[in-house]
Amino acid sequence: MGAYIIRRVLWLPVVLLIVTFLTFTIARFGPGDPVSVAAGQFRDPAVLERVRAERGLDGSVVEQYGRWLRDALRGDFGESFQQQGFTVTELILPRMWVSAQMGFIALVLVFGLGIPFGLLAARANGTWVDPLIIGTLLFMRAIPVLVVIPPLVWLFAVQFNRLPVGGWDGVFDIWWIADVIAVPIPDPHLYIPLVALSLPGFVGVARLVRYTALEVDREDYVRTARAKGLSEGAVTFRHVLPNSLLPVVTVVGFALASIIEGAFFVETLLGIPGIGRFTFEAVVSRDYDVILATTVIFSAVFVVMNLLVELTYGFIDPRVRVGASRE
Amino acid sequence: MTATTAEMQRETAAPRGQGAWGALWERLRRKRLAMISLVVIAVIYGAGILAPLVAPYSYTRQDLDRALEGPSAEHWLGTDRLGRDMLSRAIYSARTTLIVTTAVILSGSLLIGNVLGMLSGYRGGWVDSVIMRVGEVFSSLPGLMMLILLNATMGPRVVELVRWVEDHTFLSGLVASGFASYLTVFAALSLFFWIGTARVIRSQVLQLRERDYIMAAEALGARPRRVIMQHVFPNVSFLIILEVSGALGAIAGSEIVLTWFGVGVQPPAASFGAMLFEGSGARTFQSHPHLLLVPGVVVTLLLFAFNLFGDALNDAVRGR
Amino acid sequence: MSGQNRLLAIMLGVLAALVLVVGGLSAVLLLGGEGGNSDDGDGGPTGVSSGGEDNGGDGASASGRLRLASTDPVTLDPHVAGDAGSAEYIVEIFGGLMTITPDLEIVPDLADSIEVSEDGMQYTFTLREDAFFHTGRRVSAQDVKYSIERAASQELSSPVAVAYLGDIVGVREKFFGLAEQVEGVEVIDDRTVRFTLDAPKPYFLAKLTYPTAFVVDQQQIEANPQNWTRRPNGTGPYELSEWRLNERIVLEANEDYHLGAPNVQEVLYLLSGGSALTRFENDELDVSFITVNDIDRARDPNSDLNPLYSTWPQFTISYIAFNTNVPPFEDADVRRALAQSIDRRRVSEVTFNSMLVPATGVLAPQLPGYTPDDKTFQFDPEAARASLEASSYEVTEDGRLLGPDGNTYNITVTEVGGGAEARIDTQAFLEQWRTELGINVEIRQTDFATFLADQDAGRLQMFNAGWIMDYPDPESILDLKFHSESNLNDIEYTNEEVNGLLEAARVEQDPERRIQLYQEAEALIIQDAAWIPLYFSDSHVVVNPAVEGWFEPPIVIPRLRFVEVNR
Repeated sequence: MGAYIIRRVLWLPVVLLIVTFLTFTIARFGPGDPVSVAAGQFRDPAVLERVRAERGLDGSVVEQYGRWLRDALRGDFGESFQQQGFTVTELILPRMWVSAQMGFIALVLVFGLGIPFGLLAARANGTWVDPLIIGTLLFMRAIPVLVVIPPLVWLFAVQFNRLPVGGWDGVFDIWWIADVIAVPIPDPHLYIPLVALSLPGFVGVARLVRYTALEVDREDYVRTARAKGLSEGAVTFRHVLPNSLLPVVTVVGFALASIIEGAFFVETLLGIPGIGRFTFEAVVSRDYDVILATTVIFSAVFVVMNLLVELTYGFIDPRVRVGASRE
Repeated sequence: MTATTAEMQRETAAPRGQGAWGALWERLRRKRLAMISLVVIAVIYGAGILAPLVAPYSYTRQDLDRALEGPSAEHWLGTDRLGRDMLSRAIYSARTTLIVTTAVILSGSLLIGNVLGMLSGYRGGWVDSVIMRVGEVFSSLPGLMMLILLNATMGPRVVELVRWVEDHTFLSGLVASGFASYLTVFAALSLFFWIGTARVIRSQVLQLRERDYIMAAEALGARPRRVIMQHVFPNVSFLIILEVSGALGAIAGSEIVLTWFGVGVQPPAASFGAMLFEGSGARTFQSHPHLLLVPGVVVTLLLFAFNLFGDALNDAVRGR
Repeated sequence: MSGQNRLLAIMLGVLAALVLVVGGLSAVLLLGGEGGNSDDGDGGPTGVSSGGEDNGGDGASASGRLRLASTDPVTLDPHVAGDAGSAEYIVEIFGGLMTITPDLEIVPDLADSIEVSEDGMQYTFTLREDAFFHTGRRVSAQDVKYSIERAASQELSSPVAVAYLGDIVGVREKFFGLAEQVEGVEVIDDRTVRFTLDAPKPYFLAKLTYPTAFVVDQQQIEANPQNWTRRPNGTGPYELSEWRLNERIVLEANEDYHLGAPNVQEVLYLLSGGSALTRFENDELDVSFITVNDIDRARDPNSDLNPLYSTWPQFTISYIAFNTNVPPFEDADVRRALAQSIDRRRVSEVTFNSMLVPATGVLAPQLPGYTPDDKTFQFDPEAARASLEASSYEVTEDGRLLGPDGNTYNITVTEVGGGAEARIDTQAFLEQWRTELGINVEIRQTDFATFLADQDAGRLQMFNAGWIMDYPDPESILDLKFHSESNLNDIEYTNEEVNGLLEAARVEQDPERRIQLYQEAEALIIQDAAWIPLYFSDSHVVVNPAVEGWFEPPIVIPRLRFVEVNR
């Protein structure tokens, strides 16, 4: 196990190296560059050439990549063209922070709601409640985020006028009770994006938990526990739940991936200053350094996440635990 | 990102033998939900295949005098901003979905995924390491972002290439038919949709290699390819089907999303992504809900059907 | 469980979801209707009239504060900024020798008096005694020279410097590293500076109103070359007091501004958030643009928005351009045929709800030389077919053009696509070309970067574009876009007669005669159908009644100091 972990950890920089080189090449493969975008209406080829040389955008791709890598290793990820006078790090971190907070809450919702709903459905297996929950979930999952958001915004922001149309105002809002007691509540700007972000993952987790709970239910030790006269609740919490958690842990990575992808639309549609929207804008204006920096971050998150999942998998391997609890 | 269910169940023994396909179909046929889903998929895909025959109008035909109308006798689903028939546009969008999903499944999931997966599992050693590491790099890429980037940069280059082909061969009208943008979308998606299949196949092959009958076959001097074809393939074919049915929804969704972002299928080709884009916006939804609802309902139905059918297939494969 | 039960239950599930959604929707529709009524009961737009309550928390700054929606500027360095978004802020924070008034007159800003030599090649500026930086230091001739030389410097490598300052002797040399100093800028004494041009250029003063020529603070920049733009020191009517990326920019009035202190004490730009109009109606913003989705509401005399709504013409034209070097568009008759077969008026009515004004020529309203009579080709299918007949091309069966050289040509129109759908008007034109002429024009959408690259490389056959004029002079469009020697002539348009007129206008000292020359050139350009001028843009806004004197100038000019807020 130890050698395996070391191998995996060493693998991370290799992946990042390959990923950045790929991204670097792909980004420069397309026609157009940030200099001409920045120049706007006035584009004198000689002038643009001069500007490119000054900004280190001349020479072959490998040369440029070498320069980028050297700087990146020193912690300098370059400058944005779309937001000049700020380093890429300065631009990305606050946006990262916005997306990370939102993503974290969404992740909590995905599992916080997904696991109970899944267990509920599993408990209700054989009655009409189970397929009802699953059917509703399946249907909800099939509605693309792109389709959900406009009606939600129209409903709650335009018609009801209850929620803001979009934007971002921190995670917490203060709710005053009689102007004396301050109760922190989630900021209303968050509601619509959170619904859209956590819906797909929530459905996935609920179905998975139901499935594994039913499988575990059929295991000998659960039957034994029941036979011993343990109450349904005790069986669920002492045996079924812990043992159905393993596959759930393995999907944390997938849930996170779906949240990150969702962030692209949600942030674009709702004008949230997060990393997803920023990345999309960077791609269409060929803001090379921003594209690379976000790729590095996303890839690192994915790789580390997968590593953690694998480690956790080893840690809570059911066979070990089952063996122990059977005695 | 699509392989969760299938991967999860990869250790389940798949049914084998000559009559397995027939048995699978029998089990499937008894599931009404699966049949209904199949019908929904068939209707939408059928409309796509027969688009020129079933669409009441051409998807580009405009009538500026009748823009943004609700449903009527002439236009069952209303018209868009240019007075184009929404029904016809939806039908042609289904055609786009059909083309993209079929192409990506055939090339990405089936061809690349199977070949690499079998190679990896059967050969093992450095071949296995290389293929699996490449897959790992791809799955640690932020998928959607890379797809957008790939399409944004490759799109124009592919159009240039196709134009060059047009100029130097007898082929013509490729760019006009939207072929170039299909090609870009399909190539980019294929890059990402082989990994799931390859992994499933590989682990199956690894398991099967330990089985007596394969070892026996090899010991008797059968060549690796023959062994694969005769023994491994029938064993994993159900899993491939599962994997494919799981990927369908994701591929269809990806195309829609890419087009929505403006880097996917290009006009004049119709796409649900483009239709959804036109209808998005809370104010647009307020004044002209059909712009969003028509593509929204069709896409939802299709994805719903994919999900249900995938589930039913899952059950059927596992003998339920 | 039997399959039948499962099916039944799942259908129930779907039904439940539908009931929830539909029920919710209809409940909201009902409630929403009531809500709207109670709004009317309060009289007028709720948010607007009850502004004070909503803003209770900010009581201190409630008066004299203007709230606008905007985005982060690309840069606040006036010498590199090339986009209108950045310029909006820069013209308020900085200033140069010249500025533009709301009436579009070009008047001195930091300069007190200007002397032009007989031959029109030398401009001598005397600086004002009372022009100070925000830090209190007086602006000197040395500051002017430093600023021009900084803008033109190799190290800064500004993409716009040569375009705006290139008329000054020595700017190009400095930019390409051939000279240490800009020869054409001389400091005569502490208060006097002289510019020498490479030719007499009547529009030179107009060009000085652009940010590239603005004066920056040498001391600040040299003390903090990397980050000085985060709190820039300028000479303008407003001072940047806060900038939080993606959140807000706050401008504070410069009480000692030499052209008159601003009325509004504080301007708050909100840099993120959803639909501006909804925020306007929630009293979060004082000004909002109106989009095509809301235009009906703004125009409806019974709506809350109508009394607050106004439109303002802009110096912006959108057009379809033909690359006159590429077949089949080297043939003017083909270009004319395409121009005559589209009905811009009708398309604008349907697709833009008439928010865009069909262009009457190349020169936009308010520009010297503009006339309201329509000089463009009108929608006339007969004439269009006749033009095509007269051309050397023939339409083939499949809608392509067969040329005199025996080759068949595809026609492709390229445009920048921000989202999934091609520009809706372009799609309408495509259909008209197909029905009226039988020509199948293909559409190609690219992102901005690709578009620019292709445009610069002359790879575009026909494209949809726009031009924003930077100073109110016909030169800023006609000479730049249509003179065959101009770098910005991206359609390879060459007409010796037009060249002659434009060159004559460059040096013509009689303003009236000069305008006439431009009008003649414009007529020839339209006749050649080098462009199909499509629309002039209007700015459609709603403004909070508490804001007085708000206006949307046709180009970016300093305007905030003329606005008043009564709250």
